[in-house]
Amino acid sequence: MALLEVRDLHKTFGHGHNAVPAVRGVDLTIDHGETLGLVGESGCGKTTLGRVVVGLQEATGGEIIFDGEPLDGRLARAEYRRRVQMVFQHPAQSLNRRMKIVTTLSEPLRLLKVADPDEIDARIDEVLQLVGLGPIYRPRRPRQLSGGQQQRVAIARALMPNPDLVVLDEPTSSLDQSVRGRIIALLRSIQRERDVAYLFISHDLSTVRRIADRVAVMYLGRIVEMAPTEEIFEDPQHPYTKALLSAVPTMDLDHRAQRIILEGETPSPTDLPTGCSFQDRCSLVHDRCRVEQPLLESLPDGRMAECFAVTA
Amino acid sequence: MSLLEVADITVGVKHNPQTLLREVGLTVEPGEIMGLVGESGSGKTMSSLAIMGLLPAGIEMRKGNVTLEGRDLVDPETGEVSRTASEMTMIFQHPRDALNPTMRVGRQIARVLEINQDLPRSEARNTAVDTLRHVGIPGAARVARAYPHQLSGGMCQRVMIAMALACKPRILIADEPTTALDVTIQAQIFDLIKDLVAETGCGVLFITHDLGAIAEMCDRVTVMYGGQVMETGTLREVFTNPQHPYTKYLFDSVEREVDPRVVEEDVNFALMGCRFGHRCPSAFEACGEFPPLYEVAEAHRSSCFLHRKEESIGAP
Repeated sequence: MALLEVRDLHKTFGHGHNAVPAVRGVDLTIDHGETLGLVGESGCGKTTLGRVVVGLQEATGGEIIFDGEPLDGRLARAEYRRRVQMVFQHPAQSLNRRMKIVTTLSEPLRLLKVADPDEIDARIDEVLQLVGLGPIYRPRRPRQLSGGQQQRVAIARALMPNPDLVVLDEPTSSLDQSVRGRIIALLRSIQRERDVAYLFISHDLSTVRRIADRVAVMYLGRIVEMAPTEEIFEDPQHPYTKALLSAVPTMDLDHRAQRIILEGETPSPTDLPTGCSFQDRCSLVHDRCRVEQPLLESLPDGRMAECFAVTA
Repeated sequence: MSLLEVADITVGVKHNPQTLLREVGLTVEPGEIMGLVGESGSGKTMSSLAIMGLLPAGIEMRKGNVTLEGRDLVDPETGEVSRTASEMTMIFQHPRDALNPTMRVGRQIARVLEINQDLPRSEARNTAVDTLRHVGIPGAARVARAYPHQLSGGMCQRVMIAMALACKPRILIADEPTTALDVTIQAQIFDLIKDLVAETGCGVLFITHDLGAIAEMCDRVTVMYGGQVMETGTLREVFTNPQHPYTKYLFDSVEREVDPRVVEEDVNFALMGCRFGHRCPSAFEACGEFPPLYEVAEAHRSSCFLHRKEESIGAP
């Protein structure tokens, strides 16, 4: 049984003419101890999806099923809040700059009504150890730390309540290349030790490739392709995934991939065309794409894509 | 003689002996894209600001030469660079922040033309629309009447490029021009910059932290760390035959399995010697001093004492 199952999830901001459908019917599952990478360009709805999964935003439609239980009653909610945690993009902004690290880390447990100070203390030491920061960091404040160290504290805070799922929203985007590598390695080693699952949201495809077991590609509020990581990168199926991957600059001087340059820009979510939302930038577009919304369908090899040209 | 020659730029905070940039030098040829790569805090943006004469208040240029087509641009009185928009212009990382939010973008470009090329207002307006069309903006006349907040990030960066090119500069400095953009838009901007270089023959100093972008865009590359130039050479030389321990470390960090428990250290700007010294796996006594650039191959130089003749015999 999957740890998290999301069924036909919708999130629309605003009403009437100004309604912005940020997430438009997403289905996905995450297993225990698995990393699902969620990639897409700015405005595709990946952050909104992550925030809805964590519960920072209320879905406007669809279902979230966690560990077999649908998320409704209040009791389920409280337990869910402990078991699903989040790490944000900008550590400096997501940490309280007036709090010492020790206070930042003890807060989640105090909110969860863990009263025993010794227990909290022991947990802080354990988690700091886990993220590679020793007890000397306990009395420090965020401004005394580098960006990479701050992100380690943010990860430590998310781990405090011993969650089963951590939603990481662009956790390495504000960090340097060499620091990024360390944070990815850190997340993987934590996963091995704790069997925690990650929803890893990023626009940085090479980082996702290094951490994810499976990858979901999002475009304008829908998942257009989902498959195991290597299959997505080696043999993408959806025309958008192909263009996206081909646009990533690589360091290889001799094997320059043929770039697929997408014409124009992503259409505005307030003014979506009928049918497939990728139609105006797609090289494989035909009449059916202009009238009917394709659905995420399984291909013979078990991968999933949302494109008439691929699934037909 | 190179189009742009920068030598020995040394920059520091006023009333503070520490140096932020130490004897930074590089050259850019006509029609060439020179990459400047390094992590945050390596001094790549500070170098570009020094070259442009745009150092922030409180930061002083202590030493250095900037010559464009053989002409010295450093003002002997202030020690700072003075240049015109037809000599060097710059585009920045966050295009929307670099544009004036209260002025229509067409007007902003026209102002540049009025001030720098003495064009009358109506002609400047028409030229501004032409320039927008030139950078691949569909419906240029309509976009010229828009305010920056009405345009996407990719569009704003095209507007910035249009403005930078309006005066037909000899040198374009692009400081992380696509870092704030999505990869598919980044690919469009890269193609645009390459096309414009081929067309106008201007030289580009292309600053980025992304080694993939360097590989895609540049003819030559200069690697910086801690305010000093570590290595410089042709793209192929530096990428296939890196000599400096820092360059090797940087390339490895993309793929390497690192020990996740080791916490990264900051650059120590008080160091007198090589600023990579305390992190360098090959460091030895000589690294307490500042290493010069050694010629390691044709058109390939590296700033490390390992290349000094006597050490290079027993060096790892």
